[in-house]
Amino acid sequence: MSRIDLPQGTLDLLILRTLSLAPQHGWGISERVQQMSREVLCIQQGSLYPALHRLERRGWIKARWGKSENNRRARYYELTKTGRKQLETETGLWKQLTSAVNQVLGES
Amino acid sequence: MLSDLLFRLRTLFRAKSMDTGLDEELQFHIDRQLEKHLQAGLSPEEARRRLYLEFGGPAQVREECREARGVRPLEALSQDLRYGFRTLRKNPGFTTVALITLALAIGANTAIFSVVYSALLRPLPYTDPDHLIVLNETHPRIGTVSVSYPNYLDWRAQNHVFSEMALVVGVGYNLSGISQPETITGQAVTSNYLSLIGVHPLLGRDFEPSEDKPGATPVVMLTYPLWQSHFGGRRDVLGSNISLDGRGFTVIAVLPPGFRAVETVSVLAPLGVWLTKNSYAFERGNRGDTVAIGRITNGVTLAQARAEMVAIAARLAAAYPEANNQFGISLQPIRELFVGDIRPALLVLFAAVMFVLLIACANLANLFLMRAAGRTREIALRIAIGATGGRIIQQMLAESFVVAGFGGALGLGLAVAGMRAMKSFIPAAALSGDAANLNLAVLLFALAAAVLSAIAFGLAPAMQSIRAGVHSRLKESGKSTTSGVRQNRWRTTLVVAELALSVILLAGAGLMMKSVYRLVAVDPGFRPHHLLRLDLGLTSLKYPNDTAIRAFWRQLLDGVRALPEVESAALGTNVPLTNSHSRGDITVEGMPLPAPGSFPHPDRHAVSLGYLRTLGVRLLAGRDFTESDSETVPPVALVNARIARDLFPGQNPVGKRFMSGRPDWARKPEWITIVGVVDDTRMYGLANPSRLEIYRPLAQVAPDEMDLIVKSRIDPTSLTSSIRSVLASIDRNQPITSISTMDQLVQDSVGSRRLTLILLDVFSALALVLAGIGIYGVISYSVAQRTQEIGIRMALGAARPDIMKMILLQGARIAAAGLIIGTIAAFALTRYMQKLLFSVSPEDPATFALVAVVLTFVALLACYIPARRTLRVDPITALRYE
Repeated sequence: MSRIDLPQGTLDLLILRTLSLAPQHGWGISERVQQMSREVLCIQQGSLYPALHRLERRGWIKARWGKSENNRRARYYELTKTGRKQLETETGLWKQLTSAVNQVLGES
Repeated sequence: MLSDLLFRLRTLFRAKSMDTGLDEELQFHIDRQLEKHLQAGLSPEEARRRLYLEFGGPAQVREECREARGVRPLEALSQDLRYGFRTLRKNPGFTTVALITLALAIGANTAIFSVVYSALLRPLPYTDPDHLIVLNETHPRIGTVSVSYPNYLDWRAQNHVFSEMALVVGVGYNLSGISQPETITGQAVTSNYLSLIGVHPLLGRDFEPSEDKPGATPVVMLTYPLWQSHFGGRRDVLGSNISLDGRGFTVIAVLPPGFRAVETVSVLAPLGVWLTKNSYAFERGNRGDTVAIGRITNGVTLAQARAEMVAIAARLAAAYPEANNQFGISLQPIRELFVGDIRPALLVLFAAVMFVLLIACANLANLFLMRAAGRTREIALRIAIGATGGRIIQQMLAESFVVAGFGGALGLGLAVAGMRAMKSFIPAAALSGDAANLNLAVLLFALAAAVLSAIAFGLAPAMQSIRAGVHSRLKESGKSTTSGVRQNRWRTTLVVAELALSVILLAGAGLMMKSVYRLVAVDPGFRPHHLLRLDLGLTSLKYPNDTAIRAFWRQLLDGVRALPEVESAALGTNVPLTNSHSRGDITVEGMPLPAPGSFPHPDRHAVSLGYLRTLGVRLLAGRDFTESDSETVPPVALVNARIARDLFPGQNPVGKRFMSGRPDWARKPEWITIVGVVDDTRMYGLANPSRLEIYRPLAQVAPDEMDLIVKSRIDPTSLTSSIRSVLASIDRNQPITSISTMDQLVQDSVGSRRLTLILLDVFSALALVLAGIGIYGVISYSVAQRTQEIGIRMALGAARPDIMKMILLQGARIAAAGLIIGTIAAFALTRYMQKLLFSVSPEDPATFALVAVVLTFVALLACYIPARRTLRVDPITALRYE
């Protein structure tokens, strides 16, 4: 199965979705996205961190230091209230977009 | 938005710990990923290679994270400010010139603005002052006159446009029994006055309606300043007694510190108390020092109010032709009364000082352009290694903001000093509340001036430098190229603008100078030098009849004349330039009777013997008064030349007779014989034409208020104390109302013009210097750029004078352009200062010619200096010049 590069703007959506399950650190998020998409989606790991800091600035997620599974200090991110709302809106938008695209493709 | 900013700021201040946190976070990721690959069985080298492919360069990721956190712009700003500060410190010459220029311009602007603000903009300390209207009566020949009391009562009863109307009478009181006797000013007001304007007493009670009627108990309100200076601000002053004109008044209230009347006032008394003593006020034809103030009903416009009041005045004129024929009514918003004559001068000065700021900005823009030209390669290099245009502009603007910040702060300091200097020139009544001072509005103005000028002089050079930088000029060899043409054009345009603005300022200053010169050259009709003037008013309780009054004046005059330093002394009423006047209708014997309201209405003087000699008024025909013009002989008078011209054209007025008032008034006509004709005097200021004047001998009338004028052999002010002791020996309770020299009165009558002149002179000198520096800068820069070319020309045999001519021509072209544009603009603008000018046309050709000469001279001098310096250079050096 070949890997697909992420379309523009979907990275934020995936991060928010991942964090809606449980607080997680950066590496965990990238692992999680790959697992959940059954290894199809591949995040360019370097671009994950700027995205995390951008989301933090917008107030959708917040960060705190915590202990990781192997007992190291790691920066954990979790969803804020506004972040949860944002996730709902963006999910809705995404569903509209994909169903519209599907319709167009199905017709042809 | 705010939380975003806070986030950025927090990040900025915690930049250090933030970075280590970021490193730790990224390191954690790298370690975990590496671990994962190793566990999957990859060799360490292979694991590292995969990691690099998946993750990218850690340094780059870190940068992107910092960018994402929004740190960069703020970080860059503080960097730029620090860099700007450093570069400015490294160029002390440049920085000093820039700072001084800006400090002077912003300082002058702030100082003038503070006056403009307190005179024109700051709200008056009344409730809803825009609804307060001052009402006066008017007469076609006399102009604005006071309101008669019965007319006020009818206005108030009949109008539907004012929710309330009050009456204010100006009164002078002799305040005694506290320390030295002194004359204070007061107002007698109707009981609704304070509530009408929206002022509540600080202590005590307001007047009551019963106190509007004659017979009211004498009570008085003190103004805050009088309370402080004479009663030590003691609260127990309420209920105590003070003596005004020898009568006891009970203090019932103290007014708040912000209280202001149009004139300086120390006490308020109820109208009823004044009416008790001045029962003549009930005569409709009597108009004292009285105005009405009305609060216009909401929704009524000034025009509507005016229409209704004019109709009422017309009805009253028809109903009472004796007293009211031809009398109309004038309505004036109260602010106009406070601002008065100072408004045109202030607006002209404000415009002038704005021009100075514009010139200063043009100069600074030039300085920055020149510096930017020297940094072209630096900027091209920055652009080449990836700086964006916005980033370069930000950096250049940061420098101009540093200059503007420091310049503005220095300017504020200058403004405070300037405000103190100006205060003494400006009539206090024109400024609302305290005199001009630093307040929030003034600070904001200074800040805005600094920010706007930073943008004005920083943006053009910044834009210019990136435009230059884009045509990557890395390969060009420094300054010797001619690609600076575009920049030179920019600079030339700026200098032309500076010169044009300077022309406008110089023209304004020139016209003002000529006006003041013409004004002080006006013959006032008297000789003011070495004259002291003292104003005395007698209180009627002590001097109940004419005999007592005359006896007092005679004693005073004899005593003063006996002083050794006194050359001559005299008494007169309504001395020129004192703003006091008394007028009345006269009827000339045998003249066809005009309609009521069209009778000759001259100013009247009562004078002692020696008045003409002491004041230096020339006798043109007939004789002066003598001892024999006494109470017992038929009345006599002197008239001025204007009366001779207007009322006796082609005849000799000496021997003719007239009477006071109109024939239908007179119980029995008392004819007054004209015995002489004297020169006209400028009673109302040098700028105002003379009016009709008649003089009567003191022996035949008995005024209770007169001016003592004393001509001395020495400095007249040194006589004051000996005159005071003469006065005290006659009546120790008699105050002197005011003392001044006649020279001072002449000075004061040109005062506001003189202040305008001084300030315009300062501003235009500043403008001229700045414009001179501007053109000097442009020429010396362009000459320096052309050093090599000049070297070649000289090597090829061009004579020095030819090259000099070439450079001077370049300057002359710039000067001519500035001169032409400036002259056209000045022609259009100087007419706005018409009101300030005196017998000078706003397009006065001589002034404009002189301005052109001065400006051309300064411009050529500014070109000559750099030209001569270049020509001294050896051609060989010039050729090698890089």
